[in-house]
Amino acid sequence: MKQLQSSLIASALLLTIVSDAHAKLEVVATLADFGALATQIGADNVDVTVLGKPTEDEHFVDARPSFVVKLRNADVLIEGGAELEAGWLPPLLQNARNDKIAIGAPGRVVACQGIRLLNVPENVTRAAGDVHALGNPHYMIDPIIAKAVAQHIAQTLATLDPADAAAYQTNYANFATTIDARLQQWGATLAPFKGANVVAYHDSWPYLAHRFGLTIDTFLEPKPGIPPSPSHLAEVIEKMKAQNSRAIILEPFHNRKIAEKVAAATGARIVDAAQYPGALPNTDDYVALIDALVARLAAALGGQ
Amino acid sequence: MNIPVFLSAILCAALLTPGVAPARQPSDAATNSAPGSATYAASNSRSGSASDAASDVAADAASGSASDATSGGPARPGDVESLKQQMLQIQDGLRQLRTEHQREVSALKAQVARLHETVADLQKTGACRPSPAAGAHAATAATQPPVAAQAPFPTTDDSVVAAPAPFPTTDDSVAAAQAPFPTTDDSVVAAPASSRATAAPPATSLPTTDSSASAAPATSIGSRLAQPITLAGGGKSFLNISFDGQFSAAASTEKHLDALEVGDHDPQQRGFNARNIELALDGAVDPYFEGFANIVFKLDNDAETSVELEEAFMQTTTLPWNLQAKGGQFFAPLGRVNAQHPHTWDFVDTPLVSGRLLGPDGLRGLGLQVSWLAPLPWYSQLSLAIQNGNGAAAFSFRNRGDGGTFYGRPTMDRSLEGVQDLVFVPRFENSFDLTPTQTLLVGTSGAFGPNDTGAGARTEIYAADVFYKWKSAHSEGGWPFVKWQTEALLRRFEAGRGEGDAFPADEAFDDWGAYSQVVWGFSKGWTAGLRGDYLHMEKSSFTDDPERQSRWRTSPNVTWFPTEFSKFRLQYNHDFVESDRFTGSSDADSVFLQFEFTLGAHGAHKF
Repeated sequence: MKQLQSSLIASALLLTIVSDAHAKLEVVATLADFGALATQIGADNVDVTVLGKPTEDEHFVDARPSFVVKLRNADVLIEGGAELEAGWLPPLLQNARNDKIAIGAPGRVVACQGIRLLNVPENVTRAAGDVHALGNPHYMIDPIIAKAVAQHIAQTLATLDPADAAAYQTNYANFATTIDARLQQWGATLAPFKGANVVAYHDSWPYLAHRFGLTIDTFLEPKPGIPPSPSHLAEVIEKMKAQNSRAIILEPFHNRKIAEKVAAATGARIVDAAQYPGALPNTDDYVALIDALVARLAAALGGQ
Repeated sequence: MNIPVFLSAILCAALLTPGVAPARQPSDAATNSAPGSATYAASNSRSGSASDAASDVAADAASGSASDATSGGPARPGDVESLKQQMLQIQDGLRQLRTEHQREVSALKAQVARLHETVADLQKTGACRPSPAAGAHAATAATQPPVAAQAPFPTTDDSVVAAPAPFPTTDDSVAAAQAPFPTTDDSVVAAPASSRATAAPPATSLPTTDSSASAAPATSIGSRLAQPITLAGGGKSFLNISFDGQFSAAASTEKHLDALEVGDHDPQQRGFNARNIELALDGAVDPYFEGFANIVFKLDNDAETSVELEEAFMQTTTLPWNLQAKGGQFFAPLGRVNAQHPHTWDFVDTPLVSGRLLGPDGLRGLGLQVSWLAPLPWYSQLSLAIQNGNGAAAFSFRNRGDGGTFYGRPTMDRSLEGVQDLVFVPRFENSFDLTPTQTLLVGTSGAFGPNDTGAGARTEIYAADVFYKWKSAHSEGGWPFVKWQTEALLRRFEAGRGEGDAFPADEAFDDWGAYSQVVWGFSKGWTAGLRGDYLHMEKSSFTDDPERQSRWRTSPNVTWFPTEFSKFRLQYNHDFVESDRFTGSSDADSVFLQFEFTLGAHGAHKF
């Protein structure tokens, strides 16, 4: 009887260990771009939960209590860092009481790690608007950076789930290969517009400009986060006419009426763009999003 | 010899002897034209090359014929003789030209012979030996890639990715085949190929980045050192510091605004008020705790500064079983607005029910709190706070009252004698996402403890709160949104006879009240709010305390946030105070203009 008991206990323990070993990793991504990469790399071995909606302003996601539960259950947290989620993630983490995703834990992926951020301000003052002291955090739109983040994710998943390490490695390699190949196409599509002046509502596109040789230095917002004023818009319109700017990049949550006024005054096209997969139709993964962005930009700049 | 080779040989010859072909044409012209024109034109054959002579002859012939035609006269005998001599001279010239011509022809024949030899040589080697100029041309063409195969679009970029270390491919070294990922990385750390092949690193520690090459020296994986909470400001300090200044200008039909307004942070006098100037500090203490502090400075109605240690507590980060503990001075988790700092309020002032039943400072104090996040699929948290429950911030409990009286009773000094004299504040809250854009948070809470109006007098407070928020899926800066918040409180206050049974009667007051407020963020930076307040204080035949009068209030307001760091709020209050046995009813109208600024780290918004 005792033997039976102990063998039962042993098998139960074994079952627990085995089922644990094959349990899916719970991955929480703050935003949809990290979620898309996690899905691509983790595939069937992970469950991915995204907190912020792809169509909303990523700096002002509500810290909904349900997020606390998601973070409490997480094995992995992928965040952008560099103050991207500074307005809402800290209180969630204060309440989540989850060691696995504590700062410095293997399950905490701070995606900006190892990325050289653009536009790091020399002097931090809010007189310049809502500036980011560590540099512009909208870096995921650069496919080369996305590749590095995907690798970061793959390595984290492999560390936490060594049994499926080979799968993560393969998925990363496939992703990197796809990006490398698509970069040729994206580069070729936008090559005719090298140096073209593109206007954006908000300064969230320096990485796109950097990658594809566009000039995106005119914004409808006078300063980051400051609503457009009529006098500033008048200046923008003059500048756009002088530079023959043909496209205005608009994110889903920005004021479309303002952009339409500027477009009407300058003959420029509005490019409905987004930083997050799922925000535009048929852009459920990262590559599809960049595909759509490049196509829309090229169409606007090419006057089609 | 086939024709193409011959043609190319001719081409080569032309290129090799650039001076020959052009020289032939003038001399040909001279030989052709000289015989015809010599008959009419007299010319002095000058010394020089054959071609010079020939061209001179041709030129003289043309000018000579022209001058003859214009002079027009008949020829004379002397002229005949001179013409003969001229003829002889011309004949000499012609002979000279002929020999010259023959020499040139023979030279050309010799060249052609040489070219034939060259062609024969070329047929042996099979390639055209290019001239120096043509060679340079060909070399340039060779280094230029074809148009179709231009440099590929770059797929790596050191300027943005500090460590673009690729995964090992299948044909990589032995070490890579053993471990799932490389632990050494040639692209960031130089390592000899031999050591790379022999090193068999553990599969656990995998560098994701090279911190030495990284521009952002963030946390390193595996590190367990204390890190500051990064709310804003660069994340390079151990402490987040922010300073919030909140002021208001008040106008009211009520002369004593401090009797009308129920909260300590509300405007207390007509004119300008500075009731909540707050210094907030927070950060990670170490890997196990976080620390928070809020210190409030305010100016009273005599412009005297007072300092209030509003909150200062530490909170655990790593307790097991979904537990969390905090200790220190903190707001009791009673209801919703009680634990919020004034700068997060949606209205200028405290709801009547909070100010009158929990007290002007809210319910807070020294103590401990434990909370448990239930292992359920939705947010469900149970918490219990235990506090001393004494002083003005524990208004309904062991509070000595205003000048030693509370609701007319001379207060006792009930010192803490056991656990039963502490205030216990349990709270149970649940939250549900109704839709992706709508969230509901409901809570019930209570507070139980002794009060200072009698030796055995106790206070029980029961509270329920509901918070609903809709926020657009396309929100910019958090706008647009709609928030609805409602709280109801019931307080059973056992009012004893006070110190030495000085008061004539025991009473038990069942006081209750509620407020409900809606805030509509209608356009980025703008909100419109409406709040309704009601407070019912049980009527008493013994107590004439004006704070025990039932009353209601209506408060519409409009707020403008130029940014999330500044705020202007205009609010109108209509107050109605009901009559009781001692005092008649009264109305009051007030207008407030609140303005606020925040410096430093910007605290994140709690839900």
